[in-house]
Amino acid sequence: MHYAILGNGVAGMEAALALRARDASGRITLVSDEHDHFFSRPALMYVFAGQTSLRDTEPYDRGLYDRMRFERRKGRVGSLDAAGRALVFEDGSRLAYDKLLLAVGSKGRPAPWPGSAGPGLHCFVTLRDLEGLDREANRGSRAAVLGGGLIGVEVAEVLHDRGLRVSFVIRESWYFPAALDRNESALVAEHLRARGVDVRLGATVDEVVRGDGGRIRAIRLAGGGEIEADLAVSTIGVVPNTAFLAGSAVQLAASGAVETDDALRSTAPGVWAAGDCANVTWFDASRRPEQLWYTARDQGRVAARSMLGDDVAYRRGTWYNSAKFFDLEWTTAGRVPAAVGPDGNPVPAPEGERIWYQRVPGRLESQRIVVERDRVVGFNMLGSRWNQEPLLDWIHERRPLDFVLAHLGEAQFDEELSPRFRVHAGAEVA
Amino acid sequence: MQSGLMNTYEHPVSNRSWVAWALSALLFGAYVLLYFGPVPALGLRFDLLQRAAEALGAALSLPAVLRSKWILYGTVYTLAMIAGGAFFLRRHGNTPYQRLRTASVVGVQVVFAFLLPIVLQVFGHQEYYFTYFWPLKIEYFYPSVILAHPFLIVFWSFLGSLVAFPLLAYFLGKRFYCSWVCGCGGLANTFGEPFRHLSSKSTRAWSIEKVSIHGVLAAAVVTTAVVSLNWAVGKQHPAFAGFAFRVQEGYGFAIGAMFSGVLGVGLYPLMGTRVWCRFGCPMAALLGLAQKLGRFRIRVKKDMCIACGNCSTYCEMGIDVRAYAMANQSFTRASCVGCGLCAHVCPRGVLRLENRPVRWKAGQPIRVDAVDL
Repeated sequence: MHYAILGNGVAGMEAALALRARDASGRITLVSDEHDHFFSRPALMYVFAGQTSLRDTEPYDRGLYDRMRFERRKGRVGSLDAAGRALVFEDGSRLAYDKLLLAVGSKGRPAPWPGSAGPGLHCFVTLRDLEGLDREANRGSRAAVLGGGLIGVEVAEVLHDRGLRVSFVIRESWYFPAALDRNESALVAEHLRARGVDVRLGATVDEVVRGDGGRIRAIRLAGGGEIEADLAVSTIGVVPNTAFLAGSAVQLAASGAVETDDALRSTAPGVWAAGDCANVTWFDASRRPEQLWYTARDQGRVAARSMLGDDVAYRRGTWYNSAKFFDLEWTTAGRVPAAVGPDGNPVPAPEGERIWYQRVPGRLESQRIVVERDRVVGFNMLGSRWNQEPLLDWIHERRPLDFVLAHLGEAQFDEELSPRFRVHAGAEVA
Repeated sequence: MQSGLMNTYEHPVSNRSWVAWALSALLFGAYVLLYFGPVPALGLRFDLLQRAAEALGAALSLPAVLRSKWILYGTVYTLAMIAGGAFFLRRHGNTPYQRLRTASVVGVQVVFAFLLPIVLQVFGHQEYYFTYFWPLKIEYFYPSVILAHPFLIVFWSFLGSLVAFPLLAYFLGKRFYCSWVCGCGGLANTFGEPFRHLSSKSTRAWSIEKVSIHGVLAAAVVTTAVVSLNWAVGKQHPAFAGFAFRVQEGYGFAIGAMFSGVLGVGLYPLMGTRVWCRFGCPMAALLGLAQKLGRFRIRVKKDMCIACGNCSTYCEMGIDVRAYAMANQSFTRASCVGCGLCAHVCPRGVLRLENRPVRWKAGQPIRVDAVDL
C-alpha cells in the first residue's frame, strides 16, 4: 500500500503519523515543494521577526522522517491523474499512489486591485512569501498592509518592529468586524496606534499606484486619498491552493476548496482531503474550509483513519480560537455573531440575544458574553488569557449568565499574580 | 508577539557569532583569574584582580577588609544583575509575575548576597550568605565552618537545607529559590537574558543532564561525609586526612570553581544561561526531586497550541515545552526553575505555572499528569 500525502503541513504530517501508527509496513510519501521539514506555519511571523529560527518552528526532531520511514519527495505537482492514480509533477515525472491525501493548504488570496501585478506587492502565507518580503522590508521604508484580519495584524506587527513605517489599511469601519465588535475593535486600534501604527479604518483600496520602473509609490483609496508606500502586503485572506486540480476528477467548490464528505473523501476514488484546502460542514451547516491549526490537525487524523478504512466522520466541535493583536491577547469561544457581515453591512442581532460587556477600568482589557434566551452561548475576551475548556463546558451545559459570571474567574488563565477577573461597576447588559 | 525578543537571532551577541565567542573567552579569562589568582602557566606571576581591587580600594579609601578581589567580583556581579534586570524588565516586564520575580532576585542579591556580607565584614564578623545553603554552599555543612558560626546561623543553615527548602519546593516548586532568590539563577535571568534561547533542547542533552546533576549531588553528599568523618577521626588517621583533603580540594576545584564559575558563566554566550543550574547544581538537583513529587506543574490548555516553539526556544533549561503543549499534557519536570518565560512568550496563552490543582467544577480536580516524553 502506498499512501501519498501532498503537503507537509500539520494536516499532512498528522495524517502520516496516524497512518504509520496503524500501518507499520505501508509506504508513506510526503510531497512538498516548500520545505524539507514540517514546520509550524503560524510561527512564520516569529521567524520573520528574528524571534525564533525556522529550525525552532519544527515541532518534531529531524530524525522523525527516518524513524517513521516517511519518504519525502520535493517538487511541485502540476496535475492529478486521478484515473491513473498518479501525481504528475511540473517536470513531467509521476508518483503513483494507492491512496492520496490532499493537504495542500492555502495561499494568499490574489490581490484584486489595479496595479497589483508587479514587484513590491507581497503575501504572508508561505515560506516563499516571507523570503520575498524579507528582501524588501528595510528599516525606514513605508509599508501598507492591505486587509484587516489576523494575518494583517501579524504583518503590521512584524514590519513595525523591523522599523518600517506601517499603514494598516482596513476596508471596514472597524478592525476585524467578523470577530470583534465596535468597542473591542476600538480597544485594539487604540493599542496599535499607541505602538505607532497608522491605522486607517473605512479605507477601500482603489489602486496600487506604481511609479518609476514599476515600483510601488502609493496606495490610492476610494474617495481620492493616497497613502505613500514603498511596498504593500495583501492580507485579504487565503484561498485553497488547488489550482492544479482544475479539470481533474476532484470536485472543487466555487471557493476552490476540495469538496469532501463526512469521512473527508473527495469525489475522486482513492483521494482524500484535509486541512485548509478541504470544504467541510460547519456547525451552522455552511460549507467552508476551516483555516485553523487545530482543525487541520484533527482533520489529518480523521482522514488517516478514513484512509485506513475506519467508518469515521469528521465532526466540528463548538468554535473557539485565540490570537494576539500585538501585545493584546484574545480568546473567543462559542457563538459570537458578527455585527457586520462580509459585505460590510450591519447584521441585525438575533432574536432574544443580549450582550454582557465590560471594559476593565485602566487596562486594555474587556470581556463580552453573548446570551441567548437566558443561556450563555459565546465569549469574546480581550486583553487577558482564558482557558476555553470551561467556557465551552458552560456553553454546552447551557448555563445562565449569573452562574457564568460567578464562576468566570476559574477560567482565567493569566500568569500568576495577574489581576483577577471581577465584575466592575461599568459592566452593562445590552 | 513578545516585543523585545525581536531580532534575537540576528544580534551578534545572541547568535553564537564571533562576538559571542569573544565574550565567552572574556568571561572564561575573568573567572580563571578570579579563582586561580596568579597563573604562571600563562606568564601571569601576580594576582591581577587582587592588585586591581587593592588599587581601587586605596583610591576610594575603603576599609582594608573590602580591598579584596572577591568584593570587587561581588560588586561587578551585582551591577551586572541590576543592569540585566533592567534589560529583562524592558523585554518581559509587562506582567506582575515577571516584575516581582525580577525585583525579588535582584533585591536578594543586593541585600543578602552583597551588602549584608560586607556589613558583617566591616564590623569584624565572619562573612555569611543567608540565602545560600548546603549543598550549593557545601562548606556550610563542614564541621569546621559550623563551629565557627553562632548557633542561630547554624540553625538557619540546617533549617533551610533540610526542612524549609524541600518543603517550599514541594509546595511552590523549586522556582521559589532558583528564580526568586538564588544569585546564580539571578545572574542567568538578568545578565544572561540575551542567551537563554541557546540551551540545547535535544533529548541527548536531557539524558546527560540527569546523570550529571545527580552525580554532582552524590559527590556533594560524599564530600560532606568525608570531610565530616575527617574532622572526627582525621587526627588519628593521617592517611585518611590526606585523602579527605584531596576530596575537599577536588570538589572545590572541579565543582565550586570550574563548573559553577568558569564554565557556568563562561558558557553563557554559547550554551545558554543555566549550564550550571541544569547540569551541575546539587541544590537544583535536591529541590528538583522535591518538585517532581510536589504540587508545582505547568498546566497546558487543551488544543490551543500552534506548535510555534517559542516556549521551547526560550526555555533556559532546555525543556521541550512544546512537546507537552502539543500533546495537551500538563507536566512537572524536575529541572524546571519556574522562570515562567514559556508561559510568558506563548502567543496563544497555552501554558500556566501553578502550585495546585485548580477545580473548575465541584469535586472534579484536573488530573495532574507527570509524563516522561
